[in-house]
Amino acid sequence: MRSPRTLEVWRLGTVNYLKSLKIQDKLVSERKSHQIPDTLLSLEHPPTYTLGKRRTDHNLLIPQSQLTKIGAELHYTQRGGDITFHGPHQAILYPIISLRSIGFGARNYVETLERSMIEFASMYGVRARAGNKCETGVWVGDRKIGAIGVRISCGITCHGLAFNIDPDLNYFEHIVPCGIADKEVTSLRRETDALLPKEEVIHKQLITCFAKAFSYDDVVWKEDPSFILDTKDDG
Amino acid sequence: MALRLMLASYRIASHLRISVSHRAFSSVVLKDLKYADSHEWVKIEGNKATVGITDHAQEHLGDVVYVELPDVGRSVSQGESFGAVESVKATSDINSPISGKVLQVNKDLSESPALVNSSPYEEGWIIKVELSDAGEVKKLMESDKYSKFCEEEDAKH
Repeated sequence: MRSPRTLEVWRLGTVNYLKSLKIQDKLVSERKSHQIPDTLLSLEHPPTYTLGKRRTDHNLLIPQSQLTKIGAELHYTQRGGDITFHGPHQAILYPIISLRSIGFGARNYVETLERSMIEFASMYGVRARAGNKCETGVWVGDRKIGAIGVRISCGITCHGLAFNIDPDLNYFEHIVPCGIADKEVTSLRRETDALLPKEEVIHKQLITCFAKAFSYDDVVWKEDPSFILDTKDDG
Repeated sequence: MALRLMLASYRIASHLRISVSHRAFSSVVLKDLKYADSHEWVKIEGNKATVGITDHAQEHLGDVVYVELPDVGRSVSQGESFGAVESVKATSDINSPISGKVLQVNKDLSESPALVNSSPYEEGWIIKVELSDAGEVKKLMESDKYSKFCEEEDAKH
């Protein structure tokens, strides 16, 4: 008889990328020492390109010096995966959860993240699918709608997934997204005629799909994001 | 027919010193290695050790596309991360089962990271270490205990 599993959810609004890394580092450390339960961050980033551990910067198609001109930052990270773009109207989830307590390895974890996004897309009548081998992520036909890039350290996860609600897709033209050439990027806005509700509602739906896919018994919605945002800092 | 195959697999397994669970698709666990609960194995030969990740680990990772190796000469500590593997857009830290100094890293993994999947105990070895504390090996699991540990972990979902 397993004990009930609780997920604490923080909805943070728009968060600068480096700040989100600092928040995650702190939460990973707290999760490792059992100070907090499984935690989920729900947020957006200002226009930001990020690279994974393999530092595949050949997939950035414009000089780094041009990035400020287009209003974007670039960051190198320790997550898996290739280059990607994050920006307004893209829903991001960063789960800080213990995989050991559910006996999951990387593959099960990533497949369940894919299922969360597929289930979410289906709420709007969008038939999405998991990627083929070497194409981890969520696709509608040959168009990528959701990306995944995670890090697992002592069985605790960080980084996570990004689902395109209605971001400015032009930003993706400056990269080879996820290192996969000749495949388009798409969004929920493009794939459905359904009326999209307020983004706050959409984020909550995505979170609920995540919680269901990972079989959480309880979801605790944390109020007061300033508690982990440290409002003294800029951004 | 299935019973005969099962008995044959036990006979072959005991000859090769492999422990085989009766469950289908169970991972391979070798008897003469020691195991960490983070799914790394270590082969001790005098004051030298070879380290890799287990068959259970590679199954649960998916296809490995990249292995981050430490520098030769660097020290490693029991339970601490010394490198990482990437699979399915996930980087997973590799923790050292023992403490010591890195003598050699498996450079083949730079060209052929999939060796970790196809041959986790042989060609997919990751580092060779000079032990600094042989007593630490007592904290690791024997093969039977590790097999049971894997079964219990898999039963969690």
